[in-house]
Amino acid sequence: MGLRLKMLSGFLILTVMLFLAGLWSVYELNYLSTSVQDILDENYESIEAAKLMNEALEREDSAVLILMLGRSHEGRKILHVADSTFTDRLNFAYSNITIPGEKESLDLIRERYNHYKQLWGRPVADTEREGNVDWYFNQVHNSFLAVKESVNLLINLNDRTMYDTASRLKEKARSAMMPGLTALIAALVFTFLFNYLIHVFIIDPILLITDRVKKFREKGLPYDVKINSKDEIFYLSGAVEELCYIAELDRTSK
Amino acid sequence: MRLYNVVRYVALAILINSVFMLISALISAFNSESSFIPLLYSALITVLFGVFPLIFVPPTQEISNKEGLLIVVLSWFLSFLAGTLPYVLYGGPFTFTNAWFESVSGYTTTGSSILAEIEVLPLGLLFWRASTHWIGGIGIIIFVLAVLPFIGLAEVVLFRSELSNMVRENFRKRAGTAIRILAGVYIGLTLAETILLYVFGMSLFDAVTHSFATIATGGFSTKNSSIAWFKSPAIEWIITIFMFLSGIHFALLFTVVSGNLREFWRSSVVRFYSLAMVGGILLTAYSLKVNGIAEWTTAFRLAALNLVSVGTSTGFASADTAVWPGLPQLLIIYFMLQGACAGSTTGGMKSDRVLLLIKSFGQQLRRLMYPNAVIQVYMDKSSVRDDIVANAVQYIGFYLFIVFSGTLLEILTGLTLVEAFSGTVATLGGVGPGLGSIGSMGNFSAVSAIGKWIFSILMIIGRLEIFAFFIFFHPKQWSKKLTY
Repeated sequence: MGLRLKMLSGFLILTVMLFLAGLWSVYELNYLSTSVQDILDENYESIEAAKLMNEALEREDSAVLILMLGRSHEGRKILHVADSTFTDRLNFAYSNITIPGEKESLDLIRERYNHYKQLWGRPVADTEREGNVDWYFNQVHNSFLAVKESVNLLINLNDRTMYDTASRLKEKARSAMMPGLTALIAALVFTFLFNYLIHVFIIDPILLITDRVKKFREKGLPYDVKINSKDEIFYLSGAVEELCYIAELDRTSK
Repeated sequence: MRLYNVVRYVALAILINSVFMLISALISAFNSESSFIPLLYSALITVLFGVFPLIFVPPTQEISNKEGLLIVVLSWFLSFLAGTLPYVLYGGPFTFTNAWFESVSGYTTTGSSILAEIEVLPLGLLFWRASTHWIGGIGIIIFVLAVLPFIGLAEVVLFRSELSNMVRENFRKRAGTAIRILAGVYIGLTLAETILLYVFGMSLFDAVTHSFATIATGGFSTKNSSIAWFKSPAIEWIITIFMFLSGIHFALLFTVVSGNLREFWRSSVVRFYSLAMVGGILLTAYSLKVNGIAEWTTAFRLAALNLVSVGTSTGFASADTAVWPGLPQLLIIYFMLQGACAGSTTGGMKSDRVLLLIKSFGQQLRRLMYPNAVIQVYMDKSSVRDDIVANAVQYIGFYLFIVFSGTLLEILTGLTLVEAFSGTVATLGGVGPGLGSIGSMGNFSAVSAIGKWIFSILMIIGRLEIFAFFIFFHPKQWSKKLTY
């Protein structure tokens, strides 16, 4: 193999190593960015919806108390807004089911909420329920707590998935780093190896040929250089040897 | 010393690794696994490193002793490093320390693992894990020589460094022929076991990987509960028989294949190894029976697999030996130390040296009784030189010294005495599992990072037959200026 090809192969190998590492890193980084978006899409928005559901529930609870105080108009107004918010966020969460168990969790919320809604949906003011603390604590408050618990379950489910995804991201970040780091170390080692082989098989023979030619010219010592590789250096040495032989013949004939 | 020759042959060794990485990558690709890219990338990196020196450095027939030693040791070390690549790039449980431990354990055919959950790993990575056993089993260098028959004198030097002094002493064949014989027997045994395991119910993948681990006397299984997972007496007996065969000098196995049974049975080492094994199995089976652990047939089968496994430094298991009674555990420790025959891929002190130690004890007794008599140690009806006997005795002494030093260091890292001692014996002897939490049904995942590094150094010391390791790292070995 010729010198040009040998040198080229060295540079090509370096390029291939770095190119592959780059390609892989791009793939891993792309995966990272997709995963971040997934976290936002799959979990964060569901958690936000659940938080708003909880907030709406709290307001509904307050509204029930207002109804019990006999202020029907104010109470119903708050209940209407809170119920709209709750239903809207529940529907949004249904449209954003992305993890296993999320649908079951939402079904539970809906079931419990419907039961809760039935309790305060009936008239409260001017009935036996007005000012009825027992009714509130035995039925309404328990139902309220049950709905809240199911909403919290949804939050926990998404929280856990978000944590798992984030942990996977941490692992992926390490994976994204590894090809680059490996390529860096490999390229460094390869550069040393390349440099060593160039010295042994190109630089050193050229220096040797130069030295022997100098010794031939100055001291008349014979040109004895053996090159094992079958490349340009080998042909160069052969040509120099031939030249020295001719010069020697010329010198002895004079 | 001509460093470029070393570079050429080490590159060839790395190239062999890349072939197996490529096969593993193909398995991953076929099964659409996440380990495909890590394996492919590792294969490409090692191919590039393996091919490049071949472009520059022309082949040579003359390799000096020092060059030979450097080629062997560097081939091991660079293979360990190359072997970590697929693990590190895959991630998961593999930190660099864990990947290094798993890689060294694979190549040195030790079989100790940091993996608590083996079955969750992709098949490609499991195949790579088993391949490190197979490559390491016969020695990367012999591998290189088997595929490069054009090397003449180089074989002798490399062979000298690769195998123990004992093998050199009783190996009468020319090195070149010997390497071909070793490779032939190795491949033949692997194929035979794969076919038998497949026929008796293993999947092809499990059959191949378990054959790799058996013939190399490695012990990496693809299952968390090792051989016990298959619940098949036939499979257990096949593996037991092949482990036993893999513990015998490969050249002697070749004589069996050639139909020369007489020479095989004439070997006192084989007789000693076989009798010791049979005795150990009977005692263990008896102990299991009387302690109510198993009935006779099961006790015999369990004793055979688990004892042959440690006696050949393989490390497969079909039962949790950590909960066995005291006698079998003591026998396990003894066989961990003794090992099988030189000229196989097993670790430990080797039966040859233990037999020489016993014979030299008899020689000493006779010398004391008859001070003026010339008394020699005889093996297979020929006398053994005193320096060889002394070498074997010194080796055993130094081996035990390393065992105690290793145990001390491991205790300092936080292991219990039983774990530290059995772990040291298991890693130095290339056995794999120890006792306690690192036992046959346990793993090394809970060992500290320093502990893992110490164990991995012990594996390397054991694989390089102690003296080669210390010669390599002796400053005077490399005191002369390197010449190119």
